[in-house]
Amino acid sequence: MEENRKYWNPVVETLPRERLLEIELRRFRELLQWAKEKSPFYKRKLQGIEPEDIKTFEDVAKVPMTEKDELREAQEGKEPYLYGDLLAVPPEKLSIFHQTSGTTGKPVFIPDTYESWQLVVEMWCYILYAAGFRSTDRVFLPFVYNVYIAFWQGHYAAEKLGCEVVPGGGLETKARIQKMKDIQATASMNTPTYGLHMVEVAKEMGIDPRKDLYVKRMICAGEPMPESTRLRLEEEWGADVYDHIGGTEPGGWAGMCSEKQGMHVVEPYFLHEMVDLETMTKPVSPGVKGVAVITPLCRRCTPLIRFNLKDVMMVRQDPCLCGRTSIRVDQVGGRVDDLRKIRGVFFSPGIVEEVIRGQFPEVVEFETLLTQEEVMPVLTLRVEFDPSIGEGQFKELRSRIRERLKIRSNLTFEIESVKPGGLPRYTLKSSRFKDLTKK
Amino acid sequence: MNGEESMEYNLKAIASQIEAIEEGAKKLKELAPGFETVDRNAEAILAFVYILKKNVSDLID
Repeated sequence: MEENRKYWNPVVETLPRERLLEIELRRFRELLQWAKEKSPFYKRKLQGIEPEDIKTFEDVAKVPMTEKDELREAQEGKEPYLYGDLLAVPPEKLSIFHQTSGTTGKPVFIPDTYESWQLVVEMWCYILYAAGFRSTDRVFLPFVYNVYIAFWQGHYAAEKLGCEVVPGGGLETKARIQKMKDIQATASMNTPTYGLHMVEVAKEMGIDPRKDLYVKRMICAGEPMPESTRLRLEEEWGADVYDHIGGTEPGGWAGMCSEKQGMHVVEPYFLHEMVDLETMTKPVSPGVKGVAVITPLCRRCTPLIRFNLKDVMMVRQDPCLCGRTSIRVDQVGGRVDDLRKIRGVFFSPGIVEEVIRGQFPEVVEFETLLTQEEVMPVLTLRVEFDPSIGEGQFKELRSRIRERLKIRSNLTFEIESVKPGGLPRYTLKSSRFKDLTKK
Repeated sequence: MNGEESMEYNLKAIASQIEAIEEGAKKLKELAPGFETVDRNAEAILAFVYILKKNVSDLID
C-alpha cells in the first residue's frame, strides 16, 4: 500500500498553482516581518521596505537580494560569536551547527534551532518520498557527515520516513561496499562522484553492484550532476538514481520525482525566482537559462531573503506527469562563478563532465586545467583511463575526446593521459576544474 | 491522484487537532516550570506542531 502512494503531502503537492503562489506571497510577507523584527542584519538591509507593500511578485523583485558575501560580513567579528547579526533567535535556542564548504571563500556558519532543523529535515522528506524512499528501505550513507548539512538532512529525513538508516562513516571504501552487501542496503545517498568511485572499487573487489548488491535507489547530493552522469550511475548500479538541489544556507529545496524530468521545487516552502545571467536583476521566463534566487519561507532561525544562489538553471514549463503542481528546474550550467570567457566563447566546466560521463565509459577520472601561455588561454583535459584499456588505444581515445569536446564547447582542448590512480578521488565536493590563470 | 490519495481530507478537523496539541504542549510548559524533561519534550512537540501547521493548517483559507 505504502509503495503505491505518491506524495508525502497529498494536499500541498497537488494544490493548484495559483493557490501555491498565493501562499508563497503571504509567507514571503510574514518572513519579511519576522526578519525585520528579529534579525539586526535584515533590520538594516530592509529599511524602507514594508511587508504589507508586497502585494505581487513584481513587488517581491523590488526587495534586495542577499549575496553570500553579505552573510560572511554579517558574521565576521559580529556578536553573537560565530553567527553575528544574521541570527533571528537568542543563541541559547540553537541546537545544531553546520557550515558551508568554503569552496567560494570563507565558510558561512548556519545554525538551526530544534524547530528550524526539524523543518529542514521535513523538506528532505518531501524530496526522499518523491524519489521513492519508503519505510521498507534500508538506507546506507557512505560518509562521515562532518559539519556539512546534506547527509545529516538526508539521514534524519530517511529516519522520519521510517527507513532503517545505516551511517557508513569511519570506513574506507572497500569496507563500505562490503557493509552494503552484508546488510543488503536497498538505498544509498552519496555524491555522484563517490557513487562512481564505489563502482570502481567494487569491481576491483570482484563485486558487480548490479548483481551482487541490493541498491534499488540512490539519491545524490553535494555537487551538480549532469544527466549523463546520472544515467551512467543508473547503468553501473542497476538502480534508479535521483538528483536533488540544496545548500547549507537554504537547505535542500528541490528534488526529482519518478519521472526524472527536472527537479520539483518544494513549494510553498520555498519561493523560487530566476533572473538573467548578465545583470542578475531581470526576471527570465521558463525555458530560458538564468540564475536561481531562493527564499526559504518558513525557516525562522536564520532568515534568508532572495538568496542569490549563482547557479545557472532553467525552469521547465510543462506540467509533470507525476501530478505534482510545483515548478521544476534543471541545473544546466554550473555556477556563474565558474563561467569563463575563453577565446570569446563562454565555457562552463560542467560541459566536460557531460561529455566524458555520457560518451566515454573508458574514462575513470578527469580534471580540466585552464592555463595561460603568453596571451593565449589553454584548456587541458587530464584523463585517467580504466586500467583495462591498453595504451595502444590511448591515442585514438584522446583524439575522439578532443573532437567531441570541440563539437560541444567550440573550444580546443589539449588532452593528456594520466597513469591509473594519478588523479584525486573525491567523496564530497569534487574539484575537477582548476583555473591556474588566477593568482 | 490515485487510490488512497484521492481521499478527501477534512483539513479543518486536522487543523483543529493540531491546535489542541499546541495548546496542550503550551499548558505542559506552564505547569512544569524548571521541570526540564517536561519542558524540553513539550518544546519538541511544539516544533512538530509548527511543521504540521505549515503542512496543513496554513493551507486553509
